[in-house]
Amino acid sequence: MASVSASHLILFIASLVIAAGVAGTFTQGISRLSQGIDDQSLEVSEEVRTDIEVISDAGSPVYNNSSKTVTLLVKNTGTSEIPPDSRFIEILLDGRYRTNVTVTVVDGEAWQPSNVIRLEIGGADLSPGDHRVKLIVNGDEEVFRFRT
Amino acid sequence: MSPLGFSVSGSAAIIFVGIFLAFSSAYTASANGFERVTDAKSAVDEEALERQNTALSLTNATYDAGTDTLTVEAVNEGTTTLDVEAVDLLVDNAYRDDFTVRRAGGDNSTSLWLPGERLHLEVTVTSQPDRIKLVTGPGVAATEVI
Repeated sequence: MASVSASHLILFIASLVIAAGVAGTFTQGISRLSQGIDDQSLEVSEEVRTDIEVISDAGSPVYNNSSKTVTLLVKNTGTSEIPPDSRFIEILLDGRYRTNVTVTVVDGEAWQPSNVIRLEIGGADLSPGDHRVKLIVNGDEEVFRFRT
Repeated sequence: MSPLGFSVSGSAAIIFVGIFLAFSSAYTASANGFERVTDAKSAVDEEALERQNTALSLTNATYDAGTDTLTVEAVNEGTTTLDVEAVDLLVDNAYRDDFTVRRAGGDNSTSLWLPGERLHLEVTVTSQPDRIKLVTGPGVAATEVI
């Protein structure tokens, strides 16, 4: 009789341990998933809120032939602040990725909604003709075409 | 109840509590996430509506070489109230915000440019400019060749 209750006790403890293990793994998995949803929603809402507009006048010269620089003015027309740093702004000039870019906020400290930044793309060396610049910020793409 | 019955109901209770905790945290996270994205979408929709309701016309852009002054006048022809500080003036692609005169509806202290009102801007420009562009806060713009 004693051996029966001892084995019952062992089975009881084992079942509790297994149940705790299953519940723990499940909770952990779901909490990881929740964390993922949380991070993703933050990112998606930032992406939705981001909207930029190149306000440079394509009819006026954009390209400076002597300094080989393309200067663009970009307005934040979204509803969230964007860091005014070239690490957050992908710039493609005629399909080529550019890293030699200076970013300055021209009307304030930060690039908040309705503020404007100046992008100076150095080392451009463009031939006379049609050109295009593509800007990608937080998934928002903007194409600006001009003539040199 | 036999000890085996205890094992079954005890482990069932533990698993139930685990699932309950897991789903409550998952629900909170997904509800917060959905709300965040919905908020962002409605803010963007609001902005788009504002942009649709914005219209302006450049009525006058003249350069006075004697006083080196460029005068720009525009009328808010939309139905939204625009922010005077958010209006950007580009003179030959150079960004200008050093206005000598900035009046909306005849008032130089206001920051509201109401529908139907005339915005009057004056900047010092040393040489005859070719083109100007006026950009409003929502991004609606107008250009003029002088």
